[in-house]
Amino acid sequence: MQKNALHILLADDDEDDRLFFKDAFEEIKIQTNVNFVHDGMQLMDHLMNPDNKLPDILFLDLNMPKKTGKECLIEIKKTDHLKDIIIAIYSTSSSEEDIEDTFIQGANIYIKKPSDFNTLKKIINEVVTVNWHYHTSGLNRDNFLLRLK
Amino acid sequence: MKWIPNFNSSNSLRVIFVIAVFILLFLSSIAYKHNQDLNESSKLVMHTYEINIQLERLMSAIKDAETGQRGYIITRNARFLTPYIYSRDKVNTSFINLKKLTADNPQQQKNLHRLFKLITQRFVSFENCLKYSDPKTYDKRKLDNHMFGGRILMENIRFKVDEMNDIEKEFLKKRLKIYDSEISLSPLFSISLFLVALSFILLAYRQISRDFERLKVFNKKLLISSGLISESENIGKFSTWQWDLDSDKIDFSDNQFQLLGLEPRSFAPNKATLIKYVHPDDKEAVAKAIDGILDKKHLPFVYYKIIRPDFEVRYFKTTGKLVTDQQGSKILLGINFDITDEHLLNIELQERNKELEKSNKELASFNHVASHDLQEPLRKIQTFISRVSDADKEVMSESGKNYITKIESSAKRMRVLIDDLLLFSRTNTTKKEFIKVNLNELLNNAESELAEIIEEKKAIISAPKLPKLSVIPYQIEQLFINLIGNSLKYSQPGLRPEISISSEKVSASDYPEILEQSVKKFHKITFSDNGMGFDPQFKETIFILFQRLHSKTDYPGTGIGLAICKKIVENHKGHITADSILGKGSVFTVFLPD
Repeated sequence: MQKNALHILLADDDEDDRLFFKDAFEEIKIQTNVNFVHDGMQLMDHLMNPDNKLPDILFLDLNMPKKTGKECLIEIKKTDHLKDIIIAIYSTSSSEEDIEDTFIQGANIYIKKPSDFNTLKKIINEVVTVNWHYHTSGLNRDNFLLRLK
Repeated sequence: MKWIPNFNSSNSLRVIFVIAVFILLFLSSIAYKHNQDLNESSKLVMHTYEINIQLERLMSAIKDAETGQRGYIITRNARFLTPYIYSRDKVNTSFINLKKLTADNPQQQKNLHRLFKLITQRFVSFENCLKYSDPKTYDKRKLDNHMFGGRILMENIRFKVDEMNDIEKEFLKKRLKIYDSEISLSPLFSISLFLVALSFILLAYRQISRDFERLKVFNKKLLISSGLISESENIGKFSTWQWDLDSDKIDFSDNQFQLLGLEPRSFAPNKATLIKYVHPDDKEAVAKAIDGILDKKHLPFVYYKIIRPDFEVRYFKTTGKLVTDQQGSKILLGINFDITDEHLLNIELQERNKELEKSNKELASFNHVASHDLQEPLRKIQTFISRVSDADKEVMSESGKNYITKIESSAKRMRVLIDDLLLFSRTNTTKKEFIKVNLNELLNNAESELAEIIEEKKAIISAPKLPKLSVIPYQIEQLFINLIGNSLKYSQPGLRPEISISSEKVSASDYPEILEQSVKKFHKITFSDNGMGFDPQFKETIFILFQRLHSKTDYPGTGIGLAICKKIVENHKGHITADSILGKGSVFTVFLPD
């Protein structure tokens, strides 16, 4: 574990997606420390546990058992020491409703799960290399949904 | 109550009557007076004649006495003295009569007194004549004197009698004149008064008969309108009731009984029967509403059930109003509607609504299934295929590589289908928020969405200034994307695509067959291209879901795009048509309400 590596946490119940995610991070050659949780409950337990280092970026699936991504998002934003975590919604859904809701709840970016591994790599690269402090200040509804140029 | 005719004439009628009656009373009193006077005057005439007769009798008695006396003096036959002896009595009788007759006239009494004196002197003279004619006491000179004196007395008596007669006649004349002047009304005046009275009565009669005619007309109208009301109550399934609060009398219209399932007028309604047939569940509410009307003077609609004698339950709606009639009594007017049919229909509608809501929910859950569960495995398939590296492919057989390619294109097509289907169902189910927006803005968005293919095909898109309309922005944007995308997709090979958009305002009345006539003005937006076009016989079918004119190997597509266009335009209560000449280009026309 490198000290200045980015801490990435993915909350997703789908094993295949976790695998794609892990592979993509391995291939993009950025020093990262990627951890996984399998559902919303596990996510909250992980975040609430003071032994665990808080992630720099949390990739959050919406459709999860026990506690949905949206519920987790609301809880995180309500919790003082968690509310500054960068949250990237990572979902199959591209419904306007989901995008709207998560934007309002304070997520930083919305990623529709791509159906191509190379696209996934590009996306992850994009998200990880963003200067979030700069990006957050210019956060608006139009650039919330990540579109690759 | 405006429909009651105003018989104002009755007041003037009364005045006319009173005047006529007074005239008649006046006339009859005059006639009575006239009659009285006539009676009086005839009595007076009688009176005068009687006095005249009595005086004449008096005269004749004296003359008889004179004649008898002369006969006796000449013949000395005592028989001649008889009239003389009786004449005294006759004179006395006449005198008494005259005294009675002239009792009311002091002048005549005085005259009578003088006359009496003269007659007494005449009789004294008679006695003297008899005395001096008697042979025993015969004295020619004295006899002559007395005879002569008798002659003078006789003339005086005659004079006096004439004077008295004249006085009577004069008196009579005067009285008659007074009477005549008293009955000063000339017959002409009386007759004209009578005629006036008669004409008044005739006038009154005419007015009465006219009022009567009007009454008859209004009565007929009233009969007709009450017939119509009862007919319309039958047709409209409503009924009316009146409750006179002062006399506490309640009237039901015939249909009220019929709505309650009873024969008309089968009982006399009262306050208790108002709620007698109300369903036990609703009795309290209805009673409360009836009490409430007395305070509020108005009954808001009350909905309740009633039970007919045959136990059939009907649904009623009642409203009412407190009115004050012309006589100032308070009347509660009520209308009952039998709304059973509507109620049942409503229930059916509600059920259908529930079903619709349910199927809508199902559609929404299908949406969810499509967006998540169907996409998930597909995405995995695609991602896994993308993970088959070129190195992996190298070691594969030719057919294996071929299969991988086929799986890849099938998965891609599956994705397009799912995306389009989702888009189509979302045009139905997502909330429709209309926002006033400049269509040019939406067109620009559509163009930037299609930028890649526009660039690739070097297409020229010309658009004028489009109107600002109240639309569902993302849907109209989708409409533009689909229409322009369609033109670009089916462009002629080797020809630069040109799409020209035009817009004009038209009247709905110019397109009676396709446009909603309740909206007056529409915006007609036309998309013309120089593409390959299509056979005009398909201009209707191309808007149907999954209808395709080309094989999917030539032109990949799902057959959903134009169906989405149609749906979007319908969502805006507009209309879309297509026309084309094969090989020359197509024209899509969109009508959007102003």
